[in-house]
Amino acid sequence: MQRVNALQRFIFSAVVVRISTIATTLFGISVFVFIVLRVIPGNTITGAFGIETGVLTPQQIAELRHYYGIDQSLLSQYFSWMGSFLTGHLGFSFSTGVSVLKLTESALPVTIELALIGTILGVIMGIAVGMFSASKPGSFRDFGGQLFGLLALAIPGFVLSTAIVTIMANIFHYFPNGLEYMTPWRDPWVNFQQMMFPGLVLGIAVAAPVMRTTRSALLETVDKDFVRTARGKGVIPRKVQMRHVLRNSLIPIVTMTGIQFGYLLGGAVIVEKIFALPGMGRQVLDAINKREYATVQSSVMIFAIMFVTINVLTDLVYRMIDPRIK
Amino acid sequence: MRLRRNFAVIGVVSALVAGVALVAPAQAASKDLVIGITLDIDKLDPQAATSFATVRALGLVYGSLVEVGPKLDIRPGLATSWSFNSAGTQLRLHIRRGVKFQDGTSFGPADVKASLQRILDPATKAAARANLLTIKTITVSGNDVILDLTVPNVPILAALDGVNMAMLSAKDIAAGTIGKTVNGTGPFSFVSWTPGQSVKLASNPTYWGHEPKLDTITFRVIPSESSILSALNAGTIQFSVITDPLIAKQVGKNLTKYATPSLAYIVLQLNARKAPLDNLNVRLAIQCAISRSEVVKTAQSGEGTVIGPITSPAYFSNPNDRPCPNADFAKAKQLLAAGGYPNGLTISTIVAPTQFATASAVAQSLKAQLAKAGITLNLEVVDDSTFISRWLAADFQTAIANNGGRIDPDTMYTRYFTSTGNLNKVAGYSSAKLDSLFAQGKATGNVAQRKAIYKSISEELENNAAWVWLFAPYEYRVASKHLTGFVPLATGSLLELRKADLN
Repeated sequence: MQRVNALQRFIFSAVVVRISTIATTLFGISVFVFIVLRVIPGNTITGAFGIETGVLTPQQIAELRHYYGIDQSLLSQYFSWMGSFLTGHLGFSFSTGVSVLKLTESALPVTIELALIGTILGVIMGIAVGMFSASKPGSFRDFGGQLFGLLALAIPGFVLSTAIVTIMANIFHYFPNGLEYMTPWRDPWVNFQQMMFPGLVLGIAVAAPVMRTTRSALLETVDKDFVRTARGKGVIPRKVQMRHVLRNSLIPIVTMTGIQFGYLLGGAVIVEKIFALPGMGRQVLDAINKREYATVQSSVMIFAIMFVTINVLTDLVYRMIDPRIK
Repeated sequence: MRLRRNFAVIGVVSALVAGVALVAPAQAASKDLVIGITLDIDKLDPQAATSFATVRALGLVYGSLVEVGPKLDIRPGLATSWSFNSAGTQLRLHIRRGVKFQDGTSFGPADVKASLQRILDPATKAAARANLLTIKTITVSGNDVILDLTVPNVPILAALDGVNMAMLSAKDIAAGTIGKTVNGTGPFSFVSWTPGQSVKLASNPTYWGHEPKLDTITFRVIPSESSILSALNAGTIQFSVITDPLIAKQVGKNLTKYATPSLAYIVLQLNARKAPLDNLNVRLAIQCAISRSEVVKTAQSGEGTVIGPITSPAYFSNPNDRPCPNADFAKAKQLLAAGGYPNGLTISTIVAPTQFATASAVAQSLKAQLAKAGITLNLEVVDDSTFISRWLAADFQTAIANNGGRIDPDTMYTRYFTSTGNLNKVAGYSSAKLDSLFAQGKATGNVAQRKAIYKSISEELENNAAWVWLFAPYEYRVASKHLTGFVPLATGSLLELRKADLN
């Protein structure tokens, strides 16, 4: 009974520590973004009026500062926004005249879909090439696999995106992203075409680190005692590969995939721009240019919450795949 | 096995071809024009609009009293005719009859008065309020509107063009719905706005001109100009405005490209109120060390026109009418020595790559040229909002700017180079002579006299190297071959889409 109570206390304290770490991280991010936005020159007025700000009278500027809420103290601005964020409104976008929540409702699914497609494609390509490469170290196929990894790391996403868009449009007269953006539930076929190439570009970016991690993890695991034992017991090679080698190599691959998924949420900015996808990356970029504080702060917080959530999910997946933790 | 693999390849190719066929736009049957824009509109109040996207989209929905034509001539809009008194202190506008707003209500002189009063109201934050500040009273007399001015101001007529001078419904102004609902007198009516994605307009059957041939116009946000060109090539959009000369050079023969020299201009602004640029010899040395044609050649791939201060065709400054029409490094060094800097000097410039497509390339070109005269130009590369903030505060020694032009030099430069101009702090230069010349230019309607006055202004600016005017870029409108009847305007307005058709 005492042991159960001790275990419960241990789990409880671990959960409390985890939650407080997450809360502190999110609070830190919110303060950091809030301060950075106000430290950089310019404000919502210059973002909205551009050089025409110069023709505004001091009275007009004062009215605008009041209208945008930037005449309040920094503390008041922070708590006003945080209150709005915590109650789910996320603030107001002055340039569009709608709440940030409404903007996010349409932008977030685009970015999540894109990041998911990119991750799935990246993991499939990365593990496949990694396994292919590790199957015969030092051979021509290993060289080919590593070359793929190197190229995928070296070619910037914007170059690959621009090349794909230009080639498809100029040679095949094909650029589905020039059409109105379609959600998967409105027109799944057009949505698939609009997501196919940007997903591939992101997938290639994910595939490179996944491939390298897979290769090294496989090479490390393949020499372990339990693999030799399995072979010695006469387990067929394919079963050894899948059940013993790959499964035990999955832990670093899962970690890498979790990190890459988080990276994709932010890294999709350029891809969203080139492929004209109305996602969160574009939302943040436009908002930074317009100095729309609430939009930037809330969007960054959403990214941060997702990143933290993915980290927690990654930990959970560990427990499922790591027999030692099980 | 081989056969099965071949089937798989055929299957994939077929799926791709089917996809292409499915998403290919049905151009032949539709009169729906899709315009690619890099930035979304940012408001629905035409009088407060400042972004190019907003000005272009709302410019098709709202009308103004006068219009600027393809040859930069002033043509009737919602005013059919006008006259000034001999002193240039009163403008009488005869208002067009039979015009309707898109909600079906009639447009009349009372709407004109209410619209102009709204622009003058500081609470509106109207972008062009400064151009109307000489209006003393607005009177409605029958079907005419009379503007009494505090000082002679003939250029005010040209200032009545454009979306910032949009005529609104007095009823809407009173109801406070401007900026929330859209109700203009223009050739297209507003249908919807999906922020970050698109703006949709539809033909206005009650338009006072001919009803447009296009059924709808959709402004679709495609943030990258190279992607816009791809979409044009693929036929998923049919029209766009491109600013990057390198992208414009890639436009193929399958598309129509209209290259119009813009009224906007690229300039190296010198802050003559900050040392060492308060020294005339230093400013002249900078002017002498810069070959504008070299900037156009290297940074713009030759796409642009070398200019002096005034870009308006009617008053165009002779670009060679300046102390150093071509780069003269020996003279630049002499001037530096005369100014007290025999060993050269170091200055900085602010530049925002988002101000215009080739901003960084222009900065590099200037840096390389100035170095030959012993002037080190340090580049401070900043984002757009930072640039604007520092520009407005005159927190720079020099700035590489993309400034808007006007068809009348008065509205173009009074705000910069008169001592009371609201952007004079940014301009960094003024003189009693310039104040006097601008006042003379305002007072007369005689074109020959005005030309002489603005020539003097141009010389005064160049001889004092107030700024170093570099070049006017081209504005490219790129259209599908299916689009006919479109005439580009140097003002950047897309109003002539009212006559265009999609075949």
